Amino acid sequence: MQLKNVIESPCGLRYMLDELELQSGYARRWLLETEMMTTAEDVEAAYAVLRKFAAFVQQVDKTYITTLQFKLQKLKDIRTTIKNLHGGAILDDIELFEVKHLAILSTDVAKLLLAHGMEGVVAIPDLSPVITILDPDGMKIATFYIYDSYCEELKDLRKAMRSNPDEQEALLAQASELEAQVRADLSRDLRPFTASVEQALTSLARIDVFLAKALQMQRWGLCFPTLSATDVTRYEGLFNPQVLDALARVRKTFQPVDIEFGSTPTLITGANMGGKTVVLKTLTLCQYLFQYGFGIPAAAASITLRDEVHFCIGDDQSVEKGLSSFAAEMKHIDAVIAASRRGGRLLALIDEPARTTNPTEGTALVEALLDVLGNGQLSLVMTTHYDVSARGAHCLRVKGLENGQMNYQLVDAPAGEVPHEALNIAESLGIDQQWIGRARQLLERNRDKNPERHII
Amino acid sequence: MNYGSLSIVGLEKNTGKTECLKYVLERLPLAHKRVAVTSIGIDGESVDQVTRTQKPEIVLREGMYFGTSEMHYRQRKLLSELIDVSDESTSLGRVVTARALTPGKILLSGPSSGSGLRRWIAHTQQHGIDLVIIDGALSRLSSASPAISQSMILATGAAYSANLTTLVQKTKHVVDLVNLPLTSEANLTALTPLEKGVWSIDIDGELHEVNGTTSLSQQLHFDGMDRCATLYVAGALVDSLLEKVRQHPTLRKCELVVRDFTKIFVDQRLFTQFLRGGGRVTVLQKSKLIAVTVNPTSPSGYRLDSDTLCEKLTEVIKLPVYDLLKEQQCN
Repeated sequence: MQLKNVIESPCGLRYMLDELELQSGYARRWLLETEMMTTAEDVEAAYAVLRKFAAFVQQVDKTYITTLQFKLQKLKDIRTTIKNLHGGAILDDIELFEVKHLAILSTDVAKLLLAHGMEGVVAIPDLSPVITILDPDGMKIATFYIYDSYCEELKDLRKAMRSNPDEQEALLAQASELEAQVRADLSRDLRPFTASVEQALTSLARIDVFLAKALQMQRWGLCFPTLSATDVTRYEGLFNPQVLDALARVRKTFQPVDIEFGSTPTLITGANMGGKTVVLKTLTLCQYLFQYGFGIPAAAASITLRDEVHFCIGDDQSVEKGLSSFAAEMKHIDAVIAASRRGGRLLALIDEPARTTNPTEGTALVEALLDVLGNGQLSLVMTTHYDVSARGAHCLRVKGLENGQMNYQLVDAPAGEVPHEALNIAESLGIDQQWIGRARQLLERNRDKNPERHII
Repeated sequence: MNYGSLSIVGLEKNTGKTECLKYVLERLPLAHKRVAVTSIGIDGESVDQVTRTQKPEIVLREGMYFGTSEMHYRQRKLLSELIDVSDESTSLGRVVTARALTPGKILLSGPSSGSGLRRWIAHTQQHGIDLVIIDGALSRLSSASPAISQSMILATGAAYSANLTTLVQKTKHVVDLVNLPLTSEANLTALTPLEKGVWSIDIDGELHEVNGTTSLSQQLHFDGMDRCATLYVAGALVDSLLEKVRQHPTLRKCELVVRDFTKIFVDQRLFTQFLRGGGRVTVLQKSKLIAVTVNPTSPSGYRLDSDTLCEKLTEVIKLPVYDLLKEQQCN
């Protein structure tokens, strides 16, 4: 699964990518085309490199990072040129320029990294033979034309052109034949270095990506996750960078939460506006960030690798496709069930399933879902408003309103306990008193009728 | 010339814009200045593609930098050194930047949009370019927007109007727009960040958005704006909007601010009426009009008298006016 296939997930992955200080368009494309890592070796190798970059951005002077970023801005996507070279084509001036430009750029970047003990962290092939071919006069500047030194005859022709401007067009035609021969020779000489040029292009994109990820970690105080040896994923001080930024704009802070989940299904209940959906979004986000090698928005994280991540949230997009929100949700969860039957390490995060239907059938659907998915085949985290029996699930609830303030912490909840704070919260929002007061009266009346029901 | 970027724009096809560019390029001192030339969109065809009249090719001198598309770079008739391949793409490929190593002819096809051109100009500064000359597109003044170039030369001529009096009047209108005064420092600070909508500043200096609609909207209401001192139109200023402003008892005496002269799409008569009625129009950004050139010959072959035309124009616009072809014949 490439990053570009999950970038629009409603978990907010796009925000993380948009906030990444990538310097070149090519690095962005390269990143979007990276595959999700699913093996311990890949993840460990990726974080080992990111650790070095994180230490590097901590230690070096800001101006030095700016210099490196400035160099990386010059990275161009020359894959078409590389393909042409590989396929035996004769490169034209623009393509030769591109190869030379990349060769000089990669040498410059390698030098910059060497100066700070970063050599070999991302291997950059030595392209000095390429530079020698394309810089016959040893000027060491990234410009190009068919230099006089390539061909004695060409040099004489050009001299004649300068002294006889009237014959310029005729001489130019002669010169262009000689130039074509030089291009053929240069392309032949460059061909053996095709693989090195291609590797240099990828290496520079990787450096751009690692540097941007390291700077992002510094900006939000993201952590390095450890690879969980069991199927339990654990976060301490989990936060959502996008919500954090949005709150910061209105001078509010984000209250981090602690949470762990494994093969036992986890059921989160809690008041409206208690941040359940944000928790679920952030868990999805973190799983992707981990498997694409980003810093994790938490104080500490120990994460299990998954083959597939399923995030079901009743989003409005489905309505645009002409499905009712209920139908869209059912189909989405149906796909999760089908995936769980296929096997593999799955993580499913489902936000308030069957929320749009009546509570009687809704409760039955949620409980049945716990039965169907709760057999340990996949890791399941689900939120609900319904009074469902736990059916072996680990139940958590949002602490809820405390002295008029929302406490977003997650605490263990006895099975089946669903907080009834909707009216209190509505009141704290200043909603019409007549409406809320009437609702309270109706609740009181129901409680008198059914005294065994637990209602505040 | 101390203006970092110069646009050469023509009021109509065949008003001598390319002649003017050629004239400027031939005379620029290159010893201590790095000069780059580009165009907005395609230009430099050897035959005018609309009227089939002969057009001068663009001849570069040794040492000049230029920006053109990949396709036209491959067709160049000069020896040049590639400096950069930019991310700006046109229908003819990406825009490349190069330096002429010999004199020679080139077809210019630079960035196709104003914003692309602005990025290209910013980018060329890395190569130490002192002056960028932009060959403007046919009857489009957008490349002369002060957001892109600091100074401009305007080419006008019989192709714009074959009647001398009308030509002088119409040219004067454009010159008046280019020369609209800058607004106050306080207005600049308050209005520059606003990129869309219609806004008002009342007599207490408070900023308000007007109905949250665009300047093109027919539904724009100016009710309750009796305390308005400045009206700012971030987008295009069109006839219907100006007419409404002109008929409003308070607004007609207000300072009307537009981003720059290229945002004004108003009939000359209406604009004059507005100014006569006590209206004031100012801009947030202004470019310096250096000179006006004339081509007294229209593509249909009609000729106006060059001396009379230059004289009349100089009189009303108070700027140097040149008939470049005539000057060259005299030299």
